[in-house]
Amino acid sequence: MPLSGRRSRLAMAITAGLALLFAALLTRQAPVQAQSPGQNQLTVYSPRTSYSVPLLDVNGQPYAGLVELLEPLGSVDARVDGKKYKLHFTPPDGYPLEVQFTGGKDKGKVRGNGYKLPANFVLQNGRGYVPLSVTSDLISKLLATVTELHLASRRLFIGNVQLRYTLELHKDNPSRLLLGFLSPVNPSIATEPGRVRLTFRREPIVSSGPENVPYSDPLISGVSFSEHDGLAELDVTGTAPLMANFADGGKTIIVTGAPAPAPVAQEAPPPPPAPANPQNPSPQPRQPAAPRFLVLIDPAHGGSDIGAAITSSLPEKDVVLALARRLQHDLANRGIAAGLLRNSDVAITLDQRATWTNAARPALYIALHAANTGQGVHVFTAMLPAANVSPQGFLPWDIAQAAFLDLSGSVAGSVAAELESRKLPNATLLAPLRPMNNIAAPAIAVEIAPPAGDVDEIASPAYQEQVAQSIAAGVAAVRAKLPEVRP
Amino acid sequence: MTRRVLVMFAVLALIALGLTFYALHLKRKVARDEQLAAEQQRALAPLTNGPPTPVTLYIASDSDGTLRRTQVKVTLPPERTERDRAVLRALFGQYLQSSSLHPIGADADVRDVYLLGDDTAVVDTNAAFADAHPSGVLAEELTVASIVVTLNANDSKIERVKILINGQERETLAGHADLRRFYEASNIGQVVKDLQ
Repeated sequence: MPLSGRRSRLAMAITAGLALLFAALLTRQAPVQAQSPGQNQLTVYSPRTSYSVPLLDVNGQPYAGLVELLEPLGSVDARVDGKKYKLHFTPPDGYPLEVQFTGGKDKGKVRGNGYKLPANFVLQNGRGYVPLSVTSDLISKLLATVTELHLASRRLFIGNVQLRYTLELHKDNPSRLLLGFLSPVNPSIATEPGRVRLTFRREPIVSSGPENVPYSDPLISGVSFSEHDGLAELDVTGTAPLMANFADGGKTIIVTGAPAPAPVAQEAPPPPPAPANPQNPSPQPRQPAAPRFLVLIDPAHGGSDIGAAITSSLPEKDVVLALARRLQHDLANRGIAAGLLRNSDVAITLDQRATWTNAARPALYIALHAANTGQGVHVFTAMLPAANVSPQGFLPWDIAQAAFLDLSGSVAGSVAAELESRKLPNATLLAPLRPMNNIAAPAIAVEIAPPAGDVDEIASPAYQEQVAQSIAAGVAAVRAKLPEVRP
Repeated sequence: MTRRVLVMFAVLALIALGLTFYALHLKRKVARDEQLAAEQQRALAPLTNGPPTPVTLYIASDSDGTLRRTQVKVTLPPERTERDRAVLRALFGQYLQSSSLHPIGADADVRDVYLLGDDTAVVDTNAAFADAHPSGVLAEELTVASIVVTLNANDSKIERVKILINGQERETLAGHADLRRFYEASNIGQVVKDLQ
């Protein structure tokens, strides 16, 4: 019995071992996984540029790719020989510096000196990864500069790039909170009742004092700063609806009370299922209304549809949303009511965009796009085969725009003339672009490219403001030609 | 008792070993299939005899947003759809060069060209063509226009062109250019004039 007991225990141990071996073989191919969305990137701010580095999860610890981390900072030449990883990094105006590690080992060499990682170096598919916590020290040694890593919020600052802000509360009627920055900023702005949230993805904004600043003011209740997932947020809370405007070329953001019954909000399109514009009230039962002039702005893409990757950290969807808000503001300055099809990062299908636009019966539809190829601004009208369609009659879905092509062309020409007067490179073209074909109103699409080859300039407040003002002026110039529509 | 345990052990061990070998076999098969698919994708057009023939290509340039007419010499097969495919592959070949002013996805290819009647061509491209195509209204329009006008320039009977991706209709090429429609060569002709 003792012998048989030992045998049975031995048999079970061997069986369990084989099962474990089998399980290990099956799972061997996936030791490294991408982290969950929002946690999967490090934002790096350097004096030259801001960029994102995707992170990998290795046994619960975030790792950053060395090439992705260093490439935007200089030239990189990486080689793998078996388990040995050798990288030459040459900073601008510098000489090549060597980094050596071995896959599965925590010891290596940086600039010829021994270097110990807090965890093993990872080699995967010919790429080398180091623990996130060591990225700051590694870059500091390679660039001989100060660095600061905000580990929990996934933000790395190289050099003294941190951008602090000032807060000034003006107790006017209504109160105004002035957020001042040393250089222009371009955050995405989200509004909710009694709250404005400014999200900074590319700017190295850091807290400039207490993270929560309360105010004893009838309108503005306080400001709080937070950073997480590679971005920073300033959250302004109030006792009534708030709005944010840019001033001083993007160096100042003014938060104040939103006008109570905003005409734009009343004239916005039927509400999409996603929270497109939180300022827009729910639709009210329709009553006969006077004809009005409404421009509907469609910032393309959104949500998981990022559009073009203008840079690794700047998707088209963000560029066009910022431009759309500026355009809405500039049109309002010219007395033209404008609504946005989306005012946050939500996905809307092409058919939904056309359906909501047609239901809102705007006087003009403007789709906004951005690209990193070419330069300047392209103004498009729909490319449609010749069709005899009347705006008053039944409009086939696929060629609904055909009835409005003449008016669309007039708007495109007017916008191009305004771009020309501001010396912005431009061209007007026909384009097979959806959902423009399905829009039953005059419609144009505007695609902005970098002004002169510098891709980062596409998001600069100054450039975007010039483009937005050109479009607004172009629309204002042909307003008399465009019919007001009864909602 | 001992015998039962030993039998159970033997059965479990055999199952574990069998599954291990099966998993390794599946892994090798997937790798082999992927390699085969990649090789098929890179396969060249059927070899044809005969002298190279001049064909007209409309080549896009992203930097200035233009389409330029150029001629290259290509050995063309006698069959019409194969000839159209060879012309488009010559066009893609220009875009796939490292010096291209309008780069497209590295593995982009034309799988086939079909004719509907005498005047309508259906161009079936591979997934890499759309998946890796640079996104942008103008960039995508340049690609579509160059395909349509190049086909029309070399096969004047073709007046309408439809582009498929991997045999399927897709809503847009890379987020912008409409791929649900048939493109009329006469309509594109106006765009080409604007782009020249």
